[in-house]
Amino acid sequence: MNKNTDNSIVQLASELRWKLGDNFHDKLTEGIYTDASLIAAQAVEEHGKKRNYTLDSKIDKIVTSKKWGFPIMIGILSVILWITITGANYPSGLLFNLLIDTLYPALKSLAAKIGMVWWLDGLLIDGIYLAVAWVVSVMLPPMAIFFPLFTLLEDFGYLPRVAFNMDALFKKTGAHGKQALTMSMGWGCNAAGVIATRIIDSPRERLIAIITNNFSLCNGRWPTQILIATIFIGALVPASLSGAVASLSVIGIALLGVAFMFLTSWMLSTTVLKGEVSTFTLELPPYRPPRFWQTIYTSVIDRTLIVLWRAVVFAAPAGAVIWLVSNVHIGNLTLADQLIGWLNPFGVFVGLNGIILLAYIIAIPANEIIIPTILMLTVANLNLVGVGSGNGVMFELDSNLDTANVLMAGGWTVLTGVNLMLFSLLHNPCSTTIYTIYQETKSIKWTTVASILPIIMGFVVTFLVTQFWHIFIG
Amino acid sequence: MSQSLINLTAFLGIALTLWLVAKALSSKNVLQSKLKKQKTLTEDILKQLYHVEQSRRTATLDNLAGALQLRRRNILPVVEAMTTTGLINLNDTEIELTEEGKQYALKIVRIHRLWEKYLAERTGHKPSEWHHLAEKMEHKLSEEETGKLDSFLGNPMFDPHGDPIPSELGEVNTVKWTPLPSYPVNKPGKIAHIEDEPGVVYRQILNKRIFVGSHIKLIKANNNEVAFICEGEKHRFSSIVAANIHIEPLSEDEAFEENAIRLSALKAGEIAEVIGLSKECRGANRRRLLDLGILPGTQVEVDLESPMRDPVAYKVRNTSIALRNSLADLILINKN
Amino acid sequence: MTTNQIGCEDCAFHNVNSLKKLGVDTSDTDYVIALAGNPNTGKSTVFNALTGLRQHTGNWPGKTVVRAEGGYLYDDKKYKLIDLPGTYSLLSTSQDEEVARNFILFGKPDVTIIVVDASRLERNLNLVLQILEITGKAVLCLNLIDEAERHNIKIDERELAKNLGIPVVATIARTQQGIPELLSTIRDVAIGKIICKPRKVKSLSASLEESVNQLAKKIEEQFPGLPNSRWVAFRLLEGDERITEAVLNNELKELV
Repeated sequence: MNKNTDNSIVQLASELRWKLGDNFHDKLTEGIYTDASLIAAQAVEEHGKKRNYTLDSKIDKIVTSKKWGFPIMIGILSVILWITITGANYPSGLLFNLLIDTLYPALKSLAAKIGMVWWLDGLLIDGIYLAVAWVVSVMLPPMAIFFPLFTLLEDFGYLPRVAFNMDALFKKTGAHGKQALTMSMGWGCNAAGVIATRIIDSPRERLIAIITNNFSLCNGRWPTQILIATIFIGALVPASLSGAVASLSVIGIALLGVAFMFLTSWMLSTTVLKGEVSTFTLELPPYRPPRFWQTIYTSVIDRTLIVLWRAVVFAAPAGAVIWLVSNVHIGNLTLADQLIGWLNPFGVFVGLNGIILLAYIIAIPANEIIIPTILMLTVANLNLVGVGSGNGVMFELDSNLDTANVLMAGGWTVLTGVNLMLFSLLHNPCSTTIYTIYQETKSIKWTTVASILPIIMGFVVTFLVTQFWHIFIG
Repeated sequence: MSQSLINLTAFLGIALTLWLVAKALSSKNVLQSKLKKQKTLTEDILKQLYHVEQSRRTATLDNLAGALQLRRRNILPVVEAMTTTGLINLNDTEIELTEEGKQYALKIVRIHRLWEKYLAERTGHKPSEWHHLAEKMEHKLSEEETGKLDSFLGNPMFDPHGDPIPSELGEVNTVKWTPLPSYPVNKPGKIAHIEDEPGVVYRQILNKRIFVGSHIKLIKANNNEVAFICEGEKHRFSSIVAANIHIEPLSEDEAFEENAIRLSALKAGEIAEVIGLSKECRGANRRRLLDLGILPGTQVEVDLESPMRDPVAYKVRNTSIALRNSLADLILINKN
Repeated sequence: MTTNQIGCEDCAFHNVNSLKKLGVDTSDTDYVIALAGNPNTGKSTVFNALTGLRQHTGNWPGKTVVRAEGGYLYDDKKYKLIDLPGTYSLLSTSQDEEVARNFILFGKPDVTIIVVDASRLERNLNLVLQILEITGKAVLCLNLIDEAERHNIKIDERELAKNLGIPVVATIARTQQGIPELLSTIRDVAIGKIICKPRKVKSLSASLEESVNQLAKKIEEQFPGLPNSRWVAFRLLEGDERITEAVLNNELKELV
């Protein structure tokens, strides 16, 4: 575009601005609103004196009351999480049955029939297909349950009230009340939680919410927590108590995540984000009955499928990588064994091991495939016979006991289990979330901070736990 | 077990070292070249001399060193260099700015005050942080950058504390303020300026939510203490603190808001009318409140209190808007 | 508001180049329609009612940060509908407001639908009056009239249309009530069958009005025929960098 050499307009503007003083915006807005009142007064006719807000204010009095506000909120959230976790089991099983137990062998035999080269068959079916199928079957059902439920609350108008109730707490750490909502959304999926931060209209608070969303234990991590807690922590107490103790320890980890979220919010708002612009106004819209079926339909389309698609896009290449590291040999060893050897000293140093670290690197697209990858790597690394389905082929075992046996053979102790639970909470976001953070912030700097910060915390925490464990427990 | 203790000790050692390095890096003097340090010190001395002359006192090497919290022997070489370059005159023990030195000092003051204005309008930094940040920035901006900043901010005349900003040509508006303790009792006035140094006193004033632009009425003043009413609240300050608040009389078209209180003081069931937004409500927050229609004359009432009574939702133009108390403090209302 | 038949039936008014820059593909479209409004006015419901696309309808401020797009066919013409972020104003500089502002100003949509909540008309008019300073090709969609009725509020649509100088259509988007009328009104404005005479803000203080006029005159000298010189003056007086840039690099010429 050709540059305008004549900037007399801009000059005149600054002269006039100087003359008008610094309350131009005040004066302009007053002028517009004066017009607005005149026009409204001529067009609006109010019958009767009072507006009819009785039902709205009755609901509001209850859901924001000192006595009932928090219990109602915690109750609703617990019910949603419970429905999601238990309700997802059945459809997840169906999908798993279809995609992995039925379709996968069918594809394998088809490949054998047409005489596909072993490495192509491995890369495509064992690597890419399996990773994608796994992500779909584990990720889709919980999201398809969680998001519509959440969206119904949103459409009804309840969520702004949650932000209203919670703001005092979040304000203390420099965050926004609406972060309570993006945090809860993160319990479903961090990528969706990061997208949800759009509701926060203050730049500083939105960045805080984006960076700390990863501390919400997402759907992909709940099953890992439950499995490891059952195997290692449940086993410490009598069988009758083990279920309860395991559940409590998972809830404990989720609450620890909330604590880290607050801590990190506070750290960010008092250091690097100190100077960012911060505002707070929150409109409490009237309650409106949600349109049930439309909400279900749209939230599946808008949220679930978009996030799932992103996850699939990332899972496919990761599946290839997972298969390749287990099948490419350097000298006598596979690439995986080489890498495990290198990572092991550091892994043991922080109370984990090389296999866990490698699994977290190559299974970065989705937390859902961490456990299958760990199992596969353990079996391949130790050359265990009779378990698993071959190099580079992820698997899961039907019974916790079998899983425990594989992990114990890999040298796992209660300490490893505890550290894995901690590390599962405190590590870099999955690549889908990292990509989403970049999309939302358009900033390499903040994406890096959001990715690196939790993993540093994870290493520090597991390291400290390990050292104190050795000192006090042995 | 002993290995673990060694590990932990090493970890603490590393963490401590990192902490110290970070702290050293963020403090202002490390890592600066000698030349830069000298420039900074020169400018600090000029500014200090300007302030001393403004308050009609005289400066000596000793009280200069004292004000800058440096040793006499540390500033001596710089003072000597400044004499040779013609920025200051040294008569006996007295130090004076030359005309050239005064112009230079005004440039520094100009950047300082512009930057405070910038921090107030366009960032989320707290008032107590402005001074410190501007102290750093005043040595960094070039003349051209300062000019750009000035027009970006819309050529402001006053900084957020009420101090006049020198123009590009070094002209300063003169101001007529009276320190609060010597302002006539019972005569309405408004706060024109709040001194931001020393920081301890400034924070004490900020904590009482007393801002530039607020209307004020002195009730009682003696040698030790002043009592006054500001935005519906009664305050008592020691005279030393109150002397950092400067008052000017209301102009003719301004009416004293006798009954003004803060919106945050409105109770459930009461109806009030907005008088206006405090000057302290700036930048994005001010624009948002205006956009929501919180303007002089607008009716407000409490709609809903959150469990911890912060935020509170107010009914404004038939819409329920939740505001934090810290923002509602800056909205002045009149209960009828 | 006057009705006449001179408007050419087929010409679109939108700014193809700018729309492309804003990321809107207009290749298969006859008219580009922008949908603006305050948060919580049922704007997305109107969007769904018009397009049938099941875009999510939440009552959360700032829901649509990334624009949703949809389309529909009416009278053999293809309309592309752009759902702008819900905002209280176009005068501040939040990200949402800038997206909405830039689209209406630089994208020059053929019609801008402004959705307002009938029971909060006064507050919504703040945004309406700002939009009318930018574009005259607008339709007011008076939504949620059922809620207003519940609160015993009645709105005289004709009086409102007369005062604003643009057509007003009352709707209950949830139940599709008023949507057929909205569709035909959009068409009439798009093809120029209805010519709007948008209301400009009248109640500015004297000193403000004088400065704005002085600056607007100067702007018109340099950009003759610019339909929103007053609004550009507002923005320049507030020191808006994006608009200053548009003045300096002659981008405003494209808006004539």
